[in-house]
Amino acid sequence: MLFNTYWILFLLPLALLPLLLERTHSRTYSWVDLLPRDRLSDLIGLLLKILAVLALLFILLGMAGPHTPAQQVERIGEGAQIVLTIDRSASMDDPFSGSTVSGRAGETKSAAARRLITDFVNQRKNDMFGMVTFSNSAMYVMPLTQSREAILAAIDAAGGPGLFQTNIGSGLTSALSMYDRTPDSGSRALILLSDGAGRMGADAQQKIRDWLDRMHITVYWIVLRQPGGLSIFDKDFKPKEDEPLPPEIELHQYFQTLRTEYHPYEAEDPQSLAMAIEDINRKEKKPIRYIEQIPGRDFTTHCFALAALMIGLLLGIKLIEVRTWR
Amino acid sequence: MIPEQIKEFSYQIGWRSRGRHPGRHASSQRGLGMEFIGHAPLIAYPDPRRIDLRQTIRDPSEQVWVRIFNQKSSVPVTVACDLSGSMGFAGQMRKLEIASEITASAAYSAFRVNDPFGFIGFDNHVREDFMFTSSTKVHGAFELAKRLAEYRPAHVGARGLQDINRFLPRERALVLLISDFHMPLAELEQSLSSLMRHHVVPLILWDAAEYRSLPEFGVASVTDCETGARRTLFLRKQYRERILQAFEDRRAALEKLFMSFDMPPLFIEEGFEPDDLTEYFYQFVAA
Repeated sequence: MLFNTYWILFLLPLALLPLLLERTHSRTYSWVDLLPRDRLSDLIGLLLKILAVLALLFILLGMAGPHTPAQQVERIGEGAQIVLTIDRSASMDDPFSGSTVSGRAGETKSAAARRLITDFVNQRKNDMFGMVTFSNSAMYVMPLTQSREAILAAIDAAGGPGLFQTNIGSGLTSALSMYDRTPDSGSRALILLSDGAGRMGADAQQKIRDWLDRMHITVYWIVLRQPGGLSIFDKDFKPKEDEPLPPEIELHQYFQTLRTEYHPYEAEDPQSLAMAIEDINRKEKKPIRYIEQIPGRDFTTHCFALAALMIGLLLGIKLIEVRTWR
Repeated sequence: MIPEQIKEFSYQIGWRSRGRHPGRHASSQRGLGMEFIGHAPLIAYPDPRRIDLRQTIRDPSEQVWVRIFNQKSSVPVTVACDLSGSMGFAGQMRKLEIASEITASAAYSAFRVNDPFGFIGFDNHVREDFMFTSSTKVHGAFELAKRLAEYRPAHVGARGLQDINRFLPRERALVLLISDFHMPLAELEQSLSSLMRHHVVPLILWDAAEYRSLPEFGVASVTDCETGARRTLFLRKQYRERILQAFEDRRAALEKLFMSFDMPPLFIEEGFEPDDLTEYFYQFVAA
C-alpha cells in the first residue's frame, strides 16, 4: 500500500479525538447511577464513538491517497519493437514524379509514407512502435510504446513542411537510444524511410555500428527515389574523377558492412513503397516478450465512500436523538 | 419573598419540648399553662396563686398544696437543605426553587407560632454561607430562601449530611430535611443515625422528568450532575419500564430505611403544597 501524500498520515492520531472529547450536547441528569445498566444503550454509546473515529480515519486515509503499487506484467506476443525513423527533409514534400498508374500522381512522398505506415501500424496489432523524425537534427517524437492511438497520432503529426538537410546520423542515434530504455523482446527493427541520404562522420558510423550490433537490431532502409534516378543497387556506378561517391551509395555500402541484418528497398511510387512495407511486415514475425505496466488501484474513493457511510450512520443515530426531554 | 404570598402549614410534635420560651407545643417545662400535672407543697413551689384549697383541706397532715401546670413551649424548627449538584436538576420545576418555597413556608409557619427558625445548607460540607442560626426574627430566613432559589449548585455530592447534627440546636428540634436523597443508602443510614436525637421529617424532592415522563423513544446522552459521569441512553419502551421499576424500587428502599428510623418520608414531586405538609403532621404525628 502506497500513499500519495505521506505527511497526512501523521495526522492520523487526530482520528482518536472522539474518544477523548465528550459530546457537548448532553443533558444533565440528577443521578446517573440510579438508571439501570442497559447493554444496548452502552453498545450505542460505544458505536457512536467508533463511528466517529472511523469516519475521521477514513477521511484522513482518503486525503493521503492510498493506492497499490504499479505492477509490471510480462506478456508474450507476436510482433516486433519497431522504431520508425522518418526523413522530414523538404524533398519529402515533393510528389513521386512519373507515376501515372496509381492515380495518385499528386500525392507527396511524405503523405504516401504516412498513409502506408499508418496501414502498416494498423496491421501489426502486437508490435511496439517508436518514432523519430529527422531533418536538420533528430526529433524525438514517441518512445517505444504499446499504445496504438499515440503512435498513429505521432505519424499523423509528422506531416507538414520540413527543412532542407538530411542529418541521418542524428536520426539513427536518436532512434537507437530508444531501444536502450526498453527490454529486448527478441525482435527489433529499425525502419529508416528517407529519400536520400546524408553523410555521417566516422565517429557516428562506429557508434551506430556498435549499437546495432549490441542491441540486435535489423535495419530496413526504404529509399524513395526519383524514377530513373540513382539506384543504390547500381554496382557499376563510378563517380566522376575527384568526386566522392553519392551519399546514398556510401550509406548503402556502410550498412552492408554491419554485422546485423540489413534489408534495403527502393521505392519509386506508392505501389513499390507498399510492397517494401509488405515485405518488412512478413519478415518481422517473431514472438516477442515485453513488459506491460499495469497501474496500481486507487483506493481514495473507497475511503471517502466508507467515511460517507460512517457519517451517514452517525446522522441516522442523530435522527433518533431525543430533542425534547419533557 | 413577600410574606403575604407565603402559605403556611401547621405542625405539631409528638414529644414534649424542653424549651423555656412559651410557645404552642406540649412541654415538660412548668409554668403558666393549662396542663395539670400534680401537686406540690407550698414550701417546695411557692406560688400562692395556685393554692389548691380542696387538696389542702383534705390533707390530714395539714400541708398547704399548690397545683402545678406545664406551660406550652416553643420548639426550634430547622430546615436542612441539600445543595448538591443533583438539586440543581430542572425538570418541571427546579428542585432548589421548591426547596426555597418550603424554606420560606416553614420560616413563616414557625414565626406564626413563635418558634425559632434555623437553616442549614450542605453539599459535601456544611455550607457556612447558607447557614441561618436559629432565631425568631425570620426576615433573614426569607432573604436566604430567595438566595436559595437563585443558587446554581456545583458538581458536588451531599456528604455534608453527616455533619449537620453538629450545627443543629442542642435540644430536640423539628428538622425538615429537604433532599432528593440521591446518595448511597449506607451513607444515608449513617447520617440518619446521627440525627436520631431530633424529630426529622424527610421531604424527598423527585421530579417526574427524572423517571415518569421520560421521552418515548430515542438516543440521549446524559451527564451526572454530581460526578460528571456520562452515559448514552437508548430510550425505548422496555428500558423506560426498567427505569420506572428502578425508581419504584428506590422509593420502596428509601421508605423502608426512613421508617426503620421512625421518620416517615414525604415525597414532593409536583411542586410544594403546604397543605400536604399539614396533612402529613396530622397523619403521622399524634398531637
